[in-house]
Amino acid sequence: MELVRDCLDKQVDDRSQRRMGRVDGIILVLEPNRAPRVAYVELGVTTLMNRVSHRLGRVVARWFGRWGISPEPYRIPWGQLKIGLNTVIADVEAEKTPALEWELWLRKKVIGRIPGAKSQIVKQ
Amino acid sequence: MKKILEIALGIVTSVGGFLEIGSIATAAQAGAEFSFQLIWAIVLGGICIIFLVEQAGRFAAVSGRTLPDAIRERFGFNYFAFMFVVLGLVSLMVLAAEIGGVCIALELATGIGFQWWAIPIGFVVWLIIWTGTFGIIEKGVAILGLVTLAFVVGAYILHPPWAQVAAGALPSLPQHDGARYWFIAVSILGASISPYLFFFYSAGAIEDEWKETHVGINRIIAAGGMSFGSVISISVLVLAALLLLPRGMKVEHYKELPVLLTPVFGKTGFWLLVGSLGIACLGAAMEITLQIAYLTAQGFGWNWSENQRPIEEARFSFAYTITILIAMLPALFGLDPLTLTVFSMAATAATLPVSIVPFLFLMNDYSYVRIYRNGWFSNVVVISIIALAFVLAVVTIPLQIFGGS
Repeated sequence: MELVRDCLDKQVDDRSQRRMGRVDGIILVLEPNRAPRVAYVELGVTTLMNRVSHRLGRVVARWFGRWGISPEPYRIPWGQLKIGLNTVIADVEAEKTPALEWELWLRKKVIGRIPGAKSQIVKQ
Repeated sequence: MKKILEIALGIVTSVGGFLEIGSIATAAQAGAEFSFQLIWAIVLGGICIIFLVEQAGRFAAVSGRTLPDAIRERFGFNYFAFMFVVLGLVSLMVLAAEIGGVCIALELATGIGFQWWAIPIGFVVWLIIWTGTFGIIEKGVAILGLVTLAFVVGAYILHPPWAQVAAGALPSLPQHDGARYWFIAVSILGASISPYLFFFYSAGAIEDEWKETHVGINRIIAAGGMSFGSVISISVLVLAALLLLPRGMKVEHYKELPVLLTPVFGKTGFWLLVGSLGIACLGAAMEITLQIAYLTAQGFGWNWSENQRPIEEARFSFAYTITILIAMLPALFGLDPLTLTVFSMAATAATLPVSIVPFLFLMNDYSYVRIYRNGWFSNVVVISIIALAFVLAVVTIPLQIFGGS
């Protein structure tokens, strides 16, 4: 497998095929006298911003800190992943992970409070 | 029979997407200032968009992916982020122009200033997206948009000199105001080759659960819909050439637009114009709003679908809500919708390479499109469109300065 071609930036779904995000980063572990080992994939804005520039990554992390949001990306151990043709399947339940923290916050605090969000006339 | 109905609906839907404030305004300006001479720009833009929309649909039907999804995966986050910012800003401008267009239609109908309509229209756009399904938005507004056929009927009734109309389909050099001529040509191309059209179309193919079996239907819908849309745009140009040019009107304000239909249909023509402008812009506003939300959600891997309840995809719903709130600000603060339209069409033309270049790679990638890869002819066309897009990107800003007003 070629990590960048076959894994980086791919869609990540949980075990119930719920979309969690994308593979924003890949963490390799370098140990003396051993071949590099893939340890985790990362999902998170700071990882993405670091890919654009480290300076931007630091700015975003600082900004997150000011708002009381953890700048740490969510890491999924490599052993819990299955790399498919179109998606990477993570053997986790998305809603119980930090990957959907924003989704759940918005659902509870904003979208869920707007009339019609749960039971609309037209949508099933 | 079911397939014929599907194709007919698809064509009508594509027309609904094609005709919007930009194509109406630029075609009217072209006819009012240069008679039939700029018909070639609509024809050229129509041919380009037929190929791009067909490829976007084929890509989605075969690979099961949308364009932003594949662009992020194939070109990496940095390219996607660049495209996201550029396309997002341009789409926001076009959306603001569409909302302004609906507001102007309501100003024409009621006499109440357009800025008063910005919040109600923003709310209506949001409410339809919030409560509706993809099918309702796609087909409902498109069918209502058939009112724009009034332009075709009007142009036919006036018996234009068909030989001159046909001659206008071939490019020719301007006899006066060269910078203005080329600026309008660029704006027409920007209005025709709108990236929101093929991005929305690719998301729509996934929403409608297209499979490989839709490749043939997709070809007919793309060709039929975009050709039909181009014919309506040409009709607007013909009407402007026959009715605005002799009166010395140059479409410097939307209030001049009713003259396109009132001499033909009388008082009914006024309401047909108001209906055409309002419905075409409302439909486009909904499609562009969704396209921005799709681009965001697909690029970042969020849950997305217009067919799900908002609470099941809070980030997607939040994205289109914020998009509408931002896009209604220009109209709310009284920024002239015509100025915004002309500027946003030029901005679209200037940024075309960003969204068109990926086609060449994606449509030749066996891992995505397998045996449905582009043949040599499609590749020659895409390379030609990319070359045209780069020329537009280079010439648009100088032309905006020298020929923009």
